[in-house]
Amino acid sequence: MLEESLVRDVLRAALASGGRYAEVFAEERRSTSLRLDDRRVEELSTGIDRGAGVRVVAGQTTAYAHSNRLDRDALLQAARAAAAAVSGGDPFTVLDFTRPEAEIVHRAEEVADGIPRDIKVAWVQEADDAARSYAGEVHQVGVSYGDSVQRLLIATSDGRWVEEERPRVRLIVSVVATRDAVRQTGFEGPAALGGAELLREHPPADIARRAATQAVTMLDGIPAPAGEMPVVIGPAGGGVLFHEACGHGLEADTMGKGASVYRGRRGERLGSPLVNGVDDATVPGGWGSFSFDDEGSPATRTELFREGELVGFLYDRYWSERDGESSTGNGRRQSYAHLPIPRMTNTSILPGAADPEAVVSDTPRGLYAKLLGGGQVNPATGEFVFGVTEAYLIEEGRITTPVRGANLVGNGIEILKAVDAVASDFDSRPGTCGKDGQGVPVGTGSPTLRIAGMTVGGTGG
Amino acid sequence: MADLLDLCRTAIAGARDGEQAEAYAEETRQTMVRARDREVDSFSSSESRGVGVRVLFDGRLGYAWAADPEPAEAAELLEAARDNAAFATPDEANGLPQAAEADPIPGLFREVQADLGPDRKVSLALDLERVTTEADPSVRRVEEAIYGDAVSRIAVASTPGLAAEYAGTDCWCMVLALAEQDGETQTGHAFRVGREIDELDWEEAAREAAERGARMLGAIKPKTERLPVILDPWAASSFLGVLAGSLSAEEVQKGRSLLADRVGEEVGSSLISLVDDGRLTEGPAAAPFDDEGVPTARTVLVERGVLRSFLHNTETARRGGAASTGNARRSSYRGVPGVAPSNLLVEAGSASPEELLGRAGRSVYVQEVTGVHSGANPVSGEFSVGATGLRVEGGTLAEPLREMTVASTLLDMLTAVTAIGADLRFFPGGGAIGTPTLLVGEMTVAGR
Repeated sequence: MLEESLVRDVLRAALASGGRYAEVFAEERRSTSLRLDDRRVEELSTGIDRGAGVRVVAGQTTAYAHSNRLDRDALLQAARAAAAAVSGGDPFTVLDFTRPEAEIVHRAEEVADGIPRDIKVAWVQEADDAARSYAGEVHQVGVSYGDSVQRLLIATSDGRWVEEERPRVRLIVSVVATRDAVRQTGFEGPAALGGAELLREHPPADIARRAATQAVTMLDGIPAPAGEMPVVIGPAGGGVLFHEACGHGLEADTMGKGASVYRGRRGERLGSPLVNGVDDATVPGGWGSFSFDDEGSPATRTELFREGELVGFLYDRYWSERDGESSTGNGRRQSYAHLPIPRMTNTSILPGAADPEAVVSDTPRGLYAKLLGGGQVNPATGEFVFGVTEAYLIEEGRITTPVRGANLVGNGIEILKAVDAVASDFDSRPGTCGKDGQGVPVGTGSPTLRIAGMTVGGTGG
Repeated sequence: MADLLDLCRTAIAGARDGEQAEAYAEETRQTMVRARDREVDSFSSSESRGVGVRVLFDGRLGYAWAADPEPAEAAELLEAARDNAAFATPDEANGLPQAAEADPIPGLFREVQADLGPDRKVSLALDLERVTTEADPSVRRVEEAIYGDAVSRIAVASTPGLAAEYAGTDCWCMVLALAEQDGETQTGHAFRVGREIDELDWEEAAREAAERGARMLGAIKPKTERLPVILDPWAASSFLGVLAGSLSAEEVQKGRSLLADRVGEEVGSSLISLVDDGRLTEGPAAAPFDDEGVPTARTVLVERGVLRSFLHNTETARRGGAASTGNARRSSYRGVPGVAPSNLLVEAGSASPEELLGRAGRSVYVQEVTGVHSGANPVSGEFSVGATGLRVEGGTLAEPLREMTVASTLLDMLTAVTAIGADLRFFPGGGAIGTPTLLVGEMTVAGR
């Protein structure tokens, strides 16, 4: 993407007023997006995004400047702008580049970029047809398809040169079902770091039927109960819970700012012995996977909790240097326009030994949260909240009536302690995680699990 | 670098007979400074531009975009968009707006802000952190103290004869205070926005963040009950942001709005008036024209509780036999315009914060809600979100409350509003959302 000699000049210019470290992050991203709504293919759009960011770290200060041109003038100007924002007497050099071999490469089997557009149109139409023919209550269907290829280059003053290509594909179906005055929604959106093989594993019609089932099922829902009760979370859902309730508090910047309840607690048994949690950027084709993170560190699998004991944190380069740790390869950014910060990749609670059906039948009364929507956490207090998109009452050990408008609220550490059953099944789902105004693709996974007591927010009795 | 409007003209110069073409370009220069531990934690600066081209023929729409294209590449976007249009479903509502002159908005662009050097920005961020940590003994650190600004230019040119541009300056500051005591940590958030740095009341933000954090120390989980709730402007704006989608004619036409078929009916308390005003100078989203060049306007959506109208862009207006309200909005040049509010606000009432506390009786004051994007369903109107706040007893704020949820439906909440404060404030959120403090008669507050 860029000549080595140019990159070297840019790094030198970036370190002109001192600094212990400089980096160039350049990318080019080509994308196609297709949207069907209200039975119409409303729009097919193609685009190209490109740009580069130059970072200089001096003392406690990070300076960053970016441009969406990749020519020599623009890059040098960005380097000078970054250099102007720091002053440090640190010695500076730009070492010779070495190119580390990727230990894991995520390849598209069927490169989506090359697939004719009429085939992509047929996918969204197939999804629309399947959702609409699922039930008479299906009132509206929106389908969006997107693929992109991100080519990136990371070069650092201490001699790291990494290039990577990240192909992505996603299909999202959203369904509105109505009956009388009741309106409910369903959503499915598989995604992968890879190619169109995603749509062989998840045919558009299947995705659409799952979204439609969800919307139509929830029409029969009664208002969610309110108060504290046992909650069984379906496969994959526990991953979202773990991501929000704990994961954010394990990100090194959150701890470094004194804003994490997990700070200084490595080695403590904070959770139930049933809890084993990892963050793993090496999951083949995972939505949150990569070969190298956005600072050029290799993808790794990081153990976070082992039998309830806090064993690991998530580090990027800046915070690992500050804390005297090694980077866990969790330095990520939304694009060249953003500074890298510690982020999760694919975060999971690992399967246990219990039979998933037995987890439910052992619960006399409670909530079965089959699908969780997004959530939010305040890492400083550990307090989190999640929307539940599909939920049912558990009565006498059986999953019964669907309930609507539920959410779950709690505190990360308390919830980890309250996990009292972990099943042997497992599933994962893609999502977009937002932090500091940056959205990055992440995966979340878990088996079926039970929280002994958790606050359910609803309007019912 | 090519002039932005010239770049738009170049991009559509190759339009053929029988097709309509439009180019939208934006250019932004941004700075962001984060302070921590009395030093600059990070200083970021950027310059970016991009162009998106929309082509319509036979009712089909195609789009193509590129980051900072050279004139030749900008011209190629037209061909790419035309190619893409061939795959779209014909729709007679598709079309570009007729060119119309938009009056400029005075004060949108401030030379002094556009020319501001980095020193002042850095010192503001550092001062913001310092004053926050001096405002309350329990607040010794911040999680974030940020100053940010942007100088933006927007240009649109189209084959129906539009050629218009405008520029604006914005600046903002945000602080997240950490209040700590006996091993407990609580956070307090404050945000301010302005057109130039001298308008930014960062000292008030610092004090507010510290106070909001400090008063949460010792928070307990309340027991579940139904009772009156006071939503402070920030909390109230989160809910209004969810309702905003239902006010879009696009969502109405596609059957996704809970307000569909309800024009002329009561949808809220007679105290509630909802207005979208793209020309309100003090509104952060003010602009002379929308993202397809249609002049912005003031649109009354709900008048004393009665639903009056919806927000339109050109496409939804054609489909619905209405006129565009100047609410075409894009997230950036990377996409076609949808429909979204500009400055959407609940008209302020007259009650002071003390009066609201006095009137509420035994109630809960909510200062922050979380999980709104997942816990509130804009289509069904049901919500259940996490909240932090304080109990209200005897007309004053009492013990702090955490790990609670508030649940209701959007329309039940609007209907239950019994008093509105005079303290209208704007917050970012799909345009800009302005709300005063709202007293809601009854909601379910769940905890233990």
